Amino acid sequence: MRKLIRAAILSSAVAVAGIASSAALAEDSITLSNLSYRTGPFAATGIPLMNGQRDYIMMLNDRDGGVNGVKLNYEECETGYSTEKGVECYEATKGESIVTQPWSTGITLQVLPKSNVDKIPILAPGYGFSAMQDGKTFQWAFNPPASYWDGASMILSNISDGNLDGLKGKKIAFLHLDHPYGKEPIPLFEQMAAKHGFTFLPIPVGLTEMQNQSAQWLQIRRERPDYVIMWGWGAMNAGAITEAVKTNYPMDQFIGIWWSSLDGDLKLVGDKGKGYRAISWSLPNSEAPVMQDIKKHVVDAGKSLINQGEGEFDWVFYQRGVMISMMLVEGVKAAQEHFDAKVINAEQLRWGLENLNIDEAKLEALGMSGMIPPFSTSCSDHTGHSGAWMLQWNGSKFEQASDLLTADREAIDALAKDGAAKYAEANAPWPVNEECKM
Amino acid sequence: MFYRTAGQFKTDYQSDFALFPVRQDAWLLAFILLLAFVVFPMTADEFTFRALLIPVLIYSLAALGLNILTGFAGQLSLGTGAFMGVGAYACYKLVTIFPEINLIVAIALSGFFSATVGMAFGLPSLRIKGFYLAIATLAAQFFLVWLFQKWAWLYNYSTSGAIQVPNIDMFGITIAGPNAKAITQYYVVLCVVAVVTYLAINITRGRIGRIWKSIRDMDIAAELVGINLMKAKLLAFFVSSYIVGVAGALFVFLWRGAAEANLFDIPLSFRVLFIAIIGGLGSIMGNFLGAILIVALPVLLNTVPHLFGLSISSSAVEHLNVMIIGALIITFLILEPHGLARYWQVIREKLIIWPFPH
Amino acid sequence: MELLNSILVKPFADMIAAPDFLLQVLWEGTVSGVLYALIALGFVLIFKSSRIFNFAQGIMVVFAALTLVGLHQNGVPALLAVPLTLVVMYVLAYGIERVVLRPLVNQPDIILFMATIGITLFLIGFGELIFGGENKRMITEELMIPTGSFEFEPFGGFVLMEQKDIVAVGGAILLVVALLIFLNKSKMGRAIRALGDDHQAALSVGISLSTIWVLVWFIAGVIALVTGIAWGARAGVSFALEVIAYKALPVLMLGGLESVSGAIIGGLAIGILEKLFEIYWGQPLLGGNTETWFAYVLALTVLLFRPQGLFGEKIIERV
Repeated sequence: MRKLIRAAILSSAVAVAGIASSAALAEDSITLSNLSYRTGPFAATGIPLMNGQRDYIMMLNDRDGGVNGVKLNYEECETGYSTEKGVECYEATKGESIVTQPWSTGITLQVLPKSNVDKIPILAPGYGFSAMQDGKTFQWAFNPPASYWDGASMILSNISDGNLDGLKGKKIAFLHLDHPYGKEPIPLFEQMAAKHGFTFLPIPVGLTEMQNQSAQWLQIRRERPDYVIMWGWGAMNAGAITEAVKTNYPMDQFIGIWWSSLDGDLKLVGDKGKGYRAISWSLPNSEAPVMQDIKKHVVDAGKSLINQGEGEFDWVFYQRGVMISMMLVEGVKAAQEHFDAKVINAEQLRWGLENLNIDEAKLEALGMSGMIPPFSTSCSDHTGHSGAWMLQWNGSKFEQASDLLTADREAIDALAKDGAAKYAEANAPWPVNEECKM
Repeated sequence: MFYRTAGQFKTDYQSDFALFPVRQDAWLLAFILLLAFVVFPMTADEFTFRALLIPVLIYSLAALGLNILTGFAGQLSLGTGAFMGVGAYACYKLVTIFPEINLIVAIALSGFFSATVGMAFGLPSLRIKGFYLAIATLAAQFFLVWLFQKWAWLYNYSTSGAIQVPNIDMFGITIAGPNAKAITQYYVVLCVVAVVTYLAINITRGRIGRIWKSIRDMDIAAELVGINLMKAKLLAFFVSSYIVGVAGALFVFLWRGAAEANLFDIPLSFRVLFIAIIGGLGSIMGNFLGAILIVALPVLLNTVPHLFGLSISSSAVEHLNVMIIGALIITFLILEPHGLARYWQVIREKLIIWPFPH
Repeated sequence: MELLNSILVKPFADMIAAPDFLLQVLWEGTVSGVLYALIALGFVLIFKSSRIFNFAQGIMVVFAALTLVGLHQNGVPALLAVPLTLVVMYVLAYGIERVVLRPLVNQPDIILFMATIGITLFLIGFGELIFGGENKRMITEELMIPTGSFEFEPFGGFVLMEQKDIVAVGGAILLVVALLIFLNKSKMGRAIRALGDDHQAALSVGISLSTIWVLVWFIAGVIALVTGIAWGARAGVSFALEVIAYKALPVLMLGGLESVSGAIIGGLAIGILEKLFEIYWGQPLLGGNTETWFAYVLALTVLLFRPQGLFGEKIIERV
């Protein structure tokens, strides 16, 4: 109920503000839309991310009046993680918005071919599909700072202490959502398994079985894998973690991808989840200047939608949402600078996203040093490959548990090239960026 | 006045059972076709095509397929989504194995695959009735979707397990794939839907349609008057699944552009069922009315807050949307259980005697 | 030959080779079976008394659990939140009877079925608007449900049983027994059964249709709450729970739409068999995840031989 009242107050407040500002509509603004999902079975993981994305932009508007004097207009279109709604939202927002943030691998697959025709960049930080790193083939798609294949490779290198041949004879189970997202890293794992001599065992979890994974965990008990790697999403994470606790699976051999590091899921089991690890390209740091600014301008001003009772402000996901918006805004800034324009269009933003240069100095200036590893993109590399850290659950929150890890570039680049070529061939005639010489 | 039937005499049985016994009906249809073929394409923008017009047509077609089974032959099915999937995957395989094939031909052929599968899953209907049959068709629903996920051959072993529609040309114009224009796709869909609807109307009006209706009303009685139940029921499953399969192929090839197995999961089946029931079981036109309500309404509802300058958060809009749809379904069922088509009949009868009601 | 061996011999050899594991599988199957049976029971009660195939049973589970957790989050003590949730479920039952069912009396089955899907959609939107979409922790400890586990070591292996699962099974048995006593012994219960047997006859001896409907929907709400607590304790409460309704449908097919005992036996049978099939056949041979359809295919096969389910009433049709 409280939420309802808050939503009502918020919306009326925004409406009043809207009327007030309509006089000044001539003021420059850029629309950045987000195909959010605050409803449906995946809402649990979506909400904190969307809140982070939203609050960072709200903070910029409040603190700096937007970027370079241009207001940022953050708009959400609700998809409920359904591809059908996603396409509808894409069509509805592509007119005004200069970017599309599709948020599900399924929706990404649908809008990817259209983005070439509509000339609108897709920003899919840490999701989408890994072959998108090939910027020559996927001119309009960006998945900084790391792809799923990067994540898979980094997890393997972390559990083997950097020596993948040490995994020889071990058994690695791969618990994944039976969905394009979950299947994404399988080719890389299979290749690695063949090369380094470990056994790879994929265990799918159906959408209807997310909350009842006893069969999957019985299989894990029977097969006794040395490690369980999880590609989970939404209600599946919570289901898997509670089952792992129940079957007494050693938590320090259970590792998740970055989307399986939701504080709320681990809070369900609390202390018993101690030792669970997840790879992440973002580190929460509530004391960082940027977070303090968000606290001051958005949260304390009562404009945020976060659930403060649950401590959502400190969550990995909320602060990752902030990082995602940061990448987008930095893309906007780069484009503004390069084209010497205040209001940029979608094609200019594409250039901006292609020339992101997030180095230590810039992170320091943004007040988020150490929250994300430095990376840069180019016309041939749309991912940036920042590397990532391992996070570990200490019973009440996630802590950094490793130095910056890097992925096996050689294996991934070859696979990505192959994947991109296959995609282009299947969708011929597919335009390739010939100008890019890198 | 507008619908005056006076002066339109029927002198034989045949003309009384013509497609349009009343002349005004034909004019109305001509008017609607004019709208669909000329006015809409001239006025609609891309969003209207892709979010309203094309989906409404495709969903109408799927509902039409279901309606033949449920509304005419009386066999309740909850597996529509999966049968659409069979059509879509069959079409995908045809197009990728024979790249030279004409897309329309591929779509027409893919219907036969779903028709065969539909008939196989229709076999239990010979023994099972009512809700038991409805749940039994769910077996098809869950099994087929699982198969779409596990049988890698179906999606050409792509790593994501999804199918992507390539660019397909017909007579030099791209009609499917990312490069296709919305208006071309609209015309293709419209033509297919118009042809299939015309055929469906004539099937349901004729001997076969009457056999189905007699089964729906009382199957034992139908059997007693010499109708071969097995043949008629399986035929209903065949025809229905054929149309549903064609709708599924259109769904992916001329609208979505890509699909993964979960797309054909149970919410799709329910959606189509809603359309058929809200539109009116046992009516052809009802499917179109139902699709307009169920498919187009949420899209329009989404724009309502913007119209009033309100900015409610998009998730709240979505929640309200779901509530409103649920409430609307209940309201319509209470007000007119026979669906929107029945409303039209009532209005038409009123118009015929207007302005002098007895 | 290889294939035949892996279908016919190897699974059983595996079972005998690791009996403790087999026991664990059977226990897990029993727990899910009990929960399936509970949901199916909600369906059966409503179908028996009103011929309504209540698709909303799944969302009622979610709604009840969310109300309970939501009340507790707003400061209501857990033990008070349970009766308050029951009040909410009663109001819901009353509302559904008043707004939806009463105007739809005597409509064809399919229309009523559709109406319950309408209710489902309405409750999804309403619930998410009020409670939000996050996954919430079930207040297991607060309800004084033990959360530890027992470990046994039969045959040199080990079997693990969670106490909350044992409580769930125990609670379900109690609920079923109470329900059977209520249906068979109390006046109201007999009225419910009378309505199920013959609507008009029941009406003519003075049984009030609307009272009974409210009562039946309320009982379904109580069952939903128990199911919601039991299931929510395993994986948290969120709208993803709604899909468990689909797991109960094959139970109904198998057990028969009108049979209380059919729902219980069917639920247990499906829970155990689908787990066995998934572990010993599905995962090694079919790539796993067969639980989504196994129950349906099993029920379909049974139905081909007994079209009214194992315990359903044989339909006698007159022409």
